[in-house]
Amino acid sequence: MKDGYDGPILEIDKLSISFFTRLREIPAVMDFSVVVQPGEAVGLVGESGCGKSTVALGVMQDLGKNGRIVGGSIKFKGRDLGAMSLDELREIRGSEIAMIYQEPMASLNPAMKIGKQLMEVPMIHRGASEKDAYERALQVVTDVKLPDPRRILDSYPHQLSGGQQQRIVIAMALMAEPSLLILDEPTTALDVTVEAAVVELVKELGKKYGTSMLFISHNLGLVLETCDRICVMYSGEAVERGSIKDVFDEMQHPYTQALFRSIPLPGADKNAHPLRAIPGNFPLPHERPEGCNFGPRCDYFEAGRCDQGTIPMESVPGNDRHATRCLKFREIDWNAPLTADIAKEKSEPGRVVLKMEDLKKYYEVAANALFGKSGETKVVKANETLSFEARESETLAIVGESGCGKSTFAKVLMGLETATDGRILLDNQEIQHVPIQARNTKTVADVQMVFQNPFDTLNPSMTVGRQIMRALEIFGIGDSEEERRKRMLQLLDLVKLPREFADRMPRQLSGGQKQRVGIARAFAGGARIVVADEPVSALDVSVQAAVTDLLMEIQREQKTTLLFISHDLSIVRYLSDRVMVMYLGHVVELGTTEQVFAPPYHPYTEALLSAVPIADTSVEKKHIVLEGDIPSAMNPPPGCPFQTRCRWKDRVPGNLCEQDVPPVRKMASGHQLKCHLDDAVFDEMEPVIKVAAE
Amino acid sequence: MDPLSWGEILARVLAQFTPVWIALVLVFVVSILFKRRLGLYGKLFDSLIGMIGYGMVMFWVFTGVFGAFDLIVTHDSLQQISSMKNKVPGFPILGAEEGQYPYYLLGGDNLGRDVFSRMIDGAWVVVQIAPLATVFAFMVGITLGLPAGYYGGRLDTALSFLANLILAFPVILLFYLLVTPEIIATGIPNYMATFLFIFPIIFAAVLLNSRYHTRPTLRTPLLIGVLGVLGWLYLSLVSEVGSKVYLIPGFADLFDVPAGILVVFVSVVFVNSPTVFRIVRGLTMDIKTRDYVAAAQTRGEGPWYIMLWEILPNARGPLIVDFCLRIGYTTILLGTLGFFGLGLPPESPDWGTTINDGRRLLRIYLHPALVPAISLLTLVLGLNLLADGLREESLRD
Repeated sequence: MKDGYDGPILEIDKLSISFFTRLREIPAVMDFSVVVQPGEAVGLVGESGCGKSTVALGVMQDLGKNGRIVGGSIKFKGRDLGAMSLDELREIRGSEIAMIYQEPMASLNPAMKIGKQLMEVPMIHRGASEKDAYERALQVVTDVKLPDPRRILDSYPHQLSGGQQQRIVIAMALMAEPSLLILDEPTTALDVTVEAAVVELVKELGKKYGTSMLFISHNLGLVLETCDRICVMYSGEAVERGSIKDVFDEMQHPYTQALFRSIPLPGADKNAHPLRAIPGNFPLPHERPEGCNFGPRCDYFEAGRCDQGTIPMESVPGNDRHATRCLKFREIDWNAPLTADIAKEKSEPGRVVLKMEDLKKYYEVAANALFGKSGETKVVKANETLSFEARESETLAIVGESGCGKSTFAKVLMGLETATDGRILLDNQEIQHVPIQARNTKTVADVQMVFQNPFDTLNPSMTVGRQIMRALEIFGIGDSEEERRKRMLQLLDLVKLPREFADRMPRQLSGGQKQRVGIARAFAGGARIVVADEPVSALDVSVQAAVTDLLMEIQREQKTTLLFISHDLSIVRYLSDRVMVMYLGHVVELGTTEQVFAPPYHPYTEALLSAVPIADTSVEKKHIVLEGDIPSAMNPPPGCPFQTRCRWKDRVPGNLCEQDVPPVRKMASGHQLKCHLDDAVFDEMEPVIKVAAE
Repeated sequence: MDPLSWGEILARVLAQFTPVWIALVLVFVVSILFKRRLGLYGKLFDSLIGMIGYGMVMFWVFTGVFGAFDLIVTHDSLQQISSMKNKVPGFPILGAEEGQYPYYLLGGDNLGRDVFSRMIDGAWVVVQIAPLATVFAFMVGITLGLPAGYYGGRLDTALSFLANLILAFPVILLFYLLVTPEIIATGIPNYMATFLFIFPIIFAAVLLNSRYHTRPTLRTPLLIGVLGVLGWLYLSLVSEVGSKVYLIPGFADLFDVPAGILVVFVSVVFVNSPTVFRIVRGLTMDIKTRDYVAAAQTRGEGPWYIMLWEILPNARGPLIVDFCLRIGYTTILLGTLGFFGLGLPPESPDWGTTINDGRRLLRIYLHPALVPAISLLTLVLGLNLLADGLREESLRD
């Protein structure tokens, strides 16, 4: 500590924040209290719109001109932040409280060299000399484990990768050795393996500098890995607060319980133990119910009791600082097993519908767009010898991080691009060279896609019904407007949306509802193969379960082949039958879900599995942190694409990894790997995820 | 009779505008009452700046329209009363006849015409030409900008180069060239009109065809009807008996556009469309990366459907704002053309011509030039404020 203060670093007491729009006052945070002790990391968890970021902005006293603190107090080291003058606040921000945002590029000045931006911090806050500031910057950049710190200091932000940029932002926050670090979804924009490395770094630095942290995230697994205490928020209120262990293992609020039941933990299974989505929708801030905000969606709701008055935070006896906002927490049997839904029948994969044989897609990138002929052209190998089969009513997951070529593959399959080489067989017809304009309506309607970003997937200026009817029109379904309208309403039924939604504009729908419309549109022509490109990654966890289940249900009914592109291995394990792992355009591993999730692993699969945060205290995970970033597809490493980050590389004799692309090795039936490692080494591998015996 | 005092002039001018006030109040009351249901237009009434701008614009629109119905004007704008030459505002007409308005409210100009009435009639010229010319410029800009942004590559390079070429050409020089008798004799302005004015037809045809090609029974009659009407209007507009472009016989020609006005139209469209082209191209490049465009591609939609129905409606915000600003530029451009005596007839009451007339005696008599100058200024200012208000409100929420 820089000063002698030894009380709690941050005390938020009964904080209420409202935003004032031209129509009404919108309460964003109500009666929120939390205490952060020195050196402690507190996680703030909740779905989007629950007010967790508003709390952070409130601490920074940066609510914009519409926001105002309408009640309660925020004390930093015993001093009330609300009573401070602008000058005093400026003194504290950046030097005592630092904040790290989601988008690293938005926090860095693109026109200034990294070194200069870092040096500004001590020079402004402590009047340090340029030389001292440089020394300090160099030290911090070394601390955040960036290679070649001097070169980094001398480069501009755009010359660094996303992961490196976020490390710089962390370095900048640490320059002034703040007492409190606020991290607002710091890794959401990053790939999983990079995320794992950044989280590791944050944890380490927190210990080293003794910084207290307020960690805002929607990912329970991430909070489990980084924090000591957790505060769960719902609709502007803290609903449960306590130590990680208490909240994860002895949850005392129905919302926390529902949240845990809706995320795919190891052991969940789409047929035997399906996920349980939270029924209903998140209430809008001005339409909150009377009494308990979670009441209308709660399984334990009791009319006349839960819907009256305000519900206070009560501490749970026997636990350390564990509190819950539930009237009935003493009565509910928290250990009652989930009333098992009727286990659904597993659908058997049918005949092969889609077959890829040695598919290759190369892009030629001219060095100079205008005088391209004279300069050398570079070849980007987006897909390299892709071969697999997909059967009727089978879910094949395609896993990989950004730049692994999964989107290119989808484009080639859809016909938006044509293949460079190899074959794509749809019902034994070659379609690899047929662009979408030349495909017949049947083929186009058969292969459809569900997109990632729900806010982008629907045309904002057309009603929902019109968009689905347009798809029907294009696929030649129905002879008249009335017929198509009827079919469109049936499709809305299929995706479980009320029929009134047909006349709504997309902006009136929530993210999950938009995604359902996207699914309805994809199935308009009776699609047989649906490529789902991270269909739930942008949705809140409670909605994810519902949308995933919907996809599964439609698949069961219509025997659809689902190609599920994702980087989230938890959800992949939950719903897929087979998994294909891609890295830099290569398929590095392909097999059934059980085969891929158990040893022997491809070294990349192993790292990927270890990187995924799991929100379960009983799970033991091996810690494998990958060094460095994913190489650029423009300039891939020679030999094995993964050799630059592989931890098993020294087990391969000679320089084999750097020289030759490994051959495809058949392991068990249907399981294949692309690796030089010996069978003996594969046998040595231990499972990454171990569920401790109950 | 004595000349009117300034107070009396003001009172009489305000009284003369009575129909405009009534119309303005009606529009504002209705709009404010229903502002929550009127989308972006309704939001305009939350912004003071936007409301002021809208008020100023609508003032001139109503003035122009009512003026054309002889409601506001006090005298014929071409009538000359020799005793009223260069008279100061509020000067009474000597020996005024029965039923004739007894004063020149804002004085007389150097030919003895009523400055007030000329101002009102000048507003009508602007209200007629500026929005229509801007619409044409937008049609051209959109029809070329969408494919340039959507396809990119060589098409984009070629079209952008052409746009830059036009933008690099001095505007005034271009206008002088277009009205030179030798150039008119070659028929260049007529050919340009023939070329530029075909874009709205292409636009409408592609718009409807891309939307309804899956339903031929609806599409075919619709296209025939719309294209028939538009085609006839187009031929009437460009074809002139005896000119270089003489396509349809005189009896089928719906209306005659004076050659001067046609030149004004052509030049305004020609000069404005490259800028619109660039804006549309930029917006298209941005929007084409959205998932709903990809979704349309994956269900096999044609490129024109994607451009006109998926991209264009979502680019409307910035385009509406630019439309307001551009009407302002066009108004200034019209003033410039009138000032140089290009295109419009010399006795035309438009503001540019009037300012030029008044300029010669500016050091002795200020009012003949001052009145149209202030009119021009308030209209353009109003349009700019309106655009500001729209931009601000479209960004909020």
